[in-house]
Amino acid sequence: MKSLVKIAWRSLWRNRRRTILTAAAVVLALVLALFMRSMQFGSYDQMIQAGVNQVGYLQVHDTGYWENQSIDRAFFYNKNIGEAIKKIPEIQMAIPKLETFSLASYGKQTKGVLISGINPVLQNKKTHLGKKIVKGSYLSNKQNEVLVGDNLARYLHISIGDSLVLLGQGYRGITSYGIYTVKGIFHLPSTEINSQVVYMNLTAAQYFVYPYQKGLLTGISLYLKDPLKLQEVKQQLSVSLGKHYEIISWKKVLTDILQSIKVDNISGQVMLLILYIIAAFGIFSTTLMMTMEKRKQYAIMISIGMQRSRLVWVSILETIIITITGILAGLIIVTPILFYLHANPIPLTGEMSKVYEQFNIEPILPFAVKAHIFISQTLIIFVLSTLSTLYPIIYLSRFNILKAFRH
Amino acid sequence: MSIIEIKNVFKTYNETSVPVHALNGINLKIGKGEFTAIVGPSGSGKTTLLNIIGGLDLPSKGDVFIEDVNLKNLSSRQLIDFRLHNIGFVFQAYNLIPVLTALENTEFIMELQQVPKKEREQKAIRLLETVGIGDKKDHKPGQLSGGQQQRVAVARALASQPKYIIADEPTANLDSKATEELLDLMRNMNKQYHTTFIFATHDQRVMDRARRIVTIDDGKIISDEQTEK
Repeated sequence: MKSLVKIAWRSLWRNRRRTILTAAAVVLALVLALFMRSMQFGSYDQMIQAGVNQVGYLQVHDTGYWENQSIDRAFFYNKNIGEAIKKIPEIQMAIPKLETFSLASYGKQTKGVLISGINPVLQNKKTHLGKKIVKGSYLSNKQNEVLVGDNLARYLHISIGDSLVLLGQGYRGITSYGIYTVKGIFHLPSTEINSQVVYMNLTAAQYFVYPYQKGLLTGISLYLKDPLKLQEVKQQLSVSLGKHYEIISWKKVLTDILQSIKVDNISGQVMLLILYIIAAFGIFSTTLMMTMEKRKQYAIMISIGMQRSRLVWVSILETIIITITGILAGLIIVTPILFYLHANPIPLTGEMSKVYEQFNIEPILPFAVKAHIFISQTLIIFVLSTLSTLYPIIYLSRFNILKAFRH
Repeated sequence: MSIIEIKNVFKTYNETSVPVHALNGINLKIGKGEFTAIVGPSGSGKTTLLNIIGGLDLPSKGDVFIEDVNLKNLSSRQLIDFRLHNIGFVFQAYNLIPVLTALENTEFIMELQQVPKKEREQKAIRLLETVGIGDKKDHKPGQLSGGQQQRVAVARALASQPKYIIADEPTANLDSKATEELLDLMRNMNKQYHTTFIFATHDQRVMDRARRIVTIDDGKIISDEQTEK
C-alpha cells in the first residue's frame, strides 16, 4: 500500500500545474458551496428569529385552542402555570396575551377586527412594536388606549384621539363592549395585520372579554435562552402543566415562514447542483486526462506483474489525494472568512435595508457557521470527486496493454 | 530440457477490415540458459511472437507451454501473476516507471512478489551495482541516459528471478558504446546465472552475440541456427 501511495503522490506532482488546477477546482467548488449555504442558512435563521420574536419559541394554550381558536378556549392564568414556567431556568421570558374577534366601529364605518391584548413593555422588548407607530404614540399603562393598523384607520376614517367602539362576543357567551381612544396608528409589513388588528393593554382586553374574573389568556409565548433546548423545555412543561394545556413550538406557528424557506432552499439547492456539476466535470476531465496520459505506465505495470485491482487503487488514491488537498485548502480559506462574517454580518443599505426593517428584520446579511453545513458540503464534494474514479476503474478493467504500448 | 514450448501457434489480428496473419504455425522450443535472438524483417512477427512467449498476448490457435503450464488455460489474473513470478521484460523504450527512482523501479517487482523490505532493498542495490549503476540508484528515469535506463530495466527484469527474460529490441535506442555494454552485461548474466534471454532484434551486434538465431518471416520460422559462441 505504501508504494501505491508513493506512486500516486509522485504521479500527481509530475504534472504539478494540472494537479494544482484540479485541486483549485475542488477549492472553488467547496468555497462557493459553503459561502452560498452559509449565507442561505444565515438568512433563514434571521427570518426564523424575526418570526420567533413575534410568537415565541413555545406557546402555551388551553388544549385544543390551536385547532379551534375560539375565545371560549381561553384559560385563566393561575399560580401553577406561573410556577411551572418559573421552575424552568431555560425560559428567558414569558409574554401572556389574549386575542379575540370583535366588531370595531367609528362613525358610520364598522369592521371585524382581531383584538390583541398585550403587555406593552414586554411586547415592545421582543417585537419593537413601538418603532412601528407611524402616527401618535405607543401604548402606556392606561386601560382605555388602543393601537390600530394604518389600513384599518383609513377604512374607519379614524385618527389619533378618536373614540373607537368595540363590540363582540366575550368569554362564555357574554357580550363585550367598550369605547377606547386611539393612541397610535402602526404600520407592520403584513397588510393583513394592518387591516385587522387592534392592540390594547392586556388587562383592558381581559376586562373587555370577561370583566368578572381577572387573568384570562388565550396563550403565553415563551422565549428560551437556548433554542436548542426547545424539546427539553416542551417536555418538562407538558409534564408540569398536564393534559389541560397544549404546548406548541414555533414550527407549528410559523408554517408560512418555514414553507417559504423550504421553497427558497430548493432554489438554492438547484444552484448548488449546477455548481456541483461544473466542479464534477472539472475533476472528471482531469481524471480522464490523467488516465489517458498514463496508459503506458499502466501497461508497464501490468506487464511486469501488477494486478489491475492494485492499479485501480493508485488511481483512486490520486483522486482522493487531490480531493482531500482541495477540501483542506478550501476549508482553510473559507472557514475564517465565514466565522468573520458570522461575527460581523454585512450591513445592508438603501432600499434593501428599508425592506428588511419593515419586516422587523435587522438589515444585515448574516452567515451561519453550523457544523452540518460544513459536513454536508465537504461530503458532497468528496463523493463527487470520488465518483470520477469510476472512469479509471472501468477503463482499467477493459485495458489492453499491447494497445497501450503502441500509443 | 526446454522451458518454453510453442506448438503450432497462429495469431491473427482482426482489428482492421482485412485480417492480419501475424504468426502462421510457429513451433519452437527454448531451453534453460539459452541466449536466443529472434530476427526478421519489420512486420515478420517477431514482436508478436515475443508477446505470446511473454504472456502479454495469447495465440489465436495453438499452445504455449512454459514448463508444463499452458498459458491459454490461465485467467487474466493468473496470467499477470504468472508473468510476475516467471518472466522478466526489457523493452525497447526502457519502460521504467517514471515516478520511481532506479532503486525503487528495481525494488518494485519484488514488492509485488511480497519480498520483505530489507531483503528487496539489499537485492536491488546489489543488482544495480551488478549492472554498473549503483551510484545512480536514487536517480529517476528522466535523470538517466538511455543506456543507464536500459541497465535499470535489466536489473528490474532480473530482480524477480524469472525463468526467462524477454527483450524486445533492447538496443534500438542505444548508441554503440551503450549497446556493447548492455550486451556484455546480459551475456554475463546468462553465463553467470544461466538466465535465459530471448531477444527480438534487427541489430547485427545482438545477433553476433546470440548463441541461437531464429529467423522468421511472414509469421513462419524460416531458419533456426545454433552458433558457436
